[in-house]
Amino acid sequence: MSSDERTGLYVESTIIMTTVRVVAPFVLTFALFVMFHGADSPGGGFQGGVIAGSVVMMLAFAYGIDAAREWLDVRVVATLASGGVLTFATIGLGTILLGGNFLEYHLYEQFLSHATAYGIELVELGIGGIVASVAIGLFFLLAAGFGHAVDAPEDES
Amino acid sequence: MTPLEWGIVALALVGAFFAGVASIGIVRLPDVYTRAHAASKSDTLGAVLGIAAAALAIQTDLATIKAVFLLTFMFLTNPTAAHAIARAAQDQGIEPWTAGDEEGKS
Repeated sequence: MSSDERTGLYVESTIIMTTVRVVAPFVLTFALFVMFHGADSPGGGFQGGVIAGSVVMMLAFAYGIDAAREWLDVRVVATLASGGVLTFATIGLGTILLGGNFLEYHLYEQFLSHATAYGIELVELGIGGIVASVAIGLFFLLAAGFGHAVDAPEDES
Repeated sequence: MTPLEWGIVALALVGAFFAGVASIGIVRLPDVYTRAHAASKSDTLGAVLGIAAAALAIQTDLATIKAVFLLTFMFLTNPTAAHAIARAAQDQGIEPWTAGDEEGKS
């Protein structure tokens, strides 16, 4: 009830919108930086994914949750999560098909040089996609409020 | 000590002073608006001066550039976050504390 009144009255703040517009590209770049550096320095798919998900939360704070929902369809978020799982599973199980263990990257070297590095980075990207989209999905569900809890799972499926 | 080292020490000390003022303000001030005021101004200055001291002290190219990036974004985002909190508090209808409300928190 009260959340309906508030979303109806939401007025964008120029200060927040401007800051988010300036900062968002840098945050997304930083998210990719953290994801790609996971192999040899602090960071990785989990941390980078949370940073990437926070971009969508910043946009939602600045432009309102309804605009964010329209801009980023729930189906896109679900596709990103399942795509990440698929990437991880394909790379992990592919090495078993080649006769090795799970995630034994160096077996890909016969098709591609530096395959170990590419394999690790792809798995990090997949994890990042999963974490980012799950964080965004949880944020959207929380922002729907408890009054909408009945129809929120309907949107998901 | 070289002048550069004196500068680093001075930046770190002034930054620590402002960070201390901000911490005292967040604990002691009575309501969300005054606390956001302490967190946005003093805390930003304390953090920025501290990072500036670190950037001067490290003096390797990549780490200094990272510290300068951190400093810039601290300056941009910290006051904006405080603004967003104060705005949301007003949106929720929280009344600002005035000298009349003495019976509240100390």
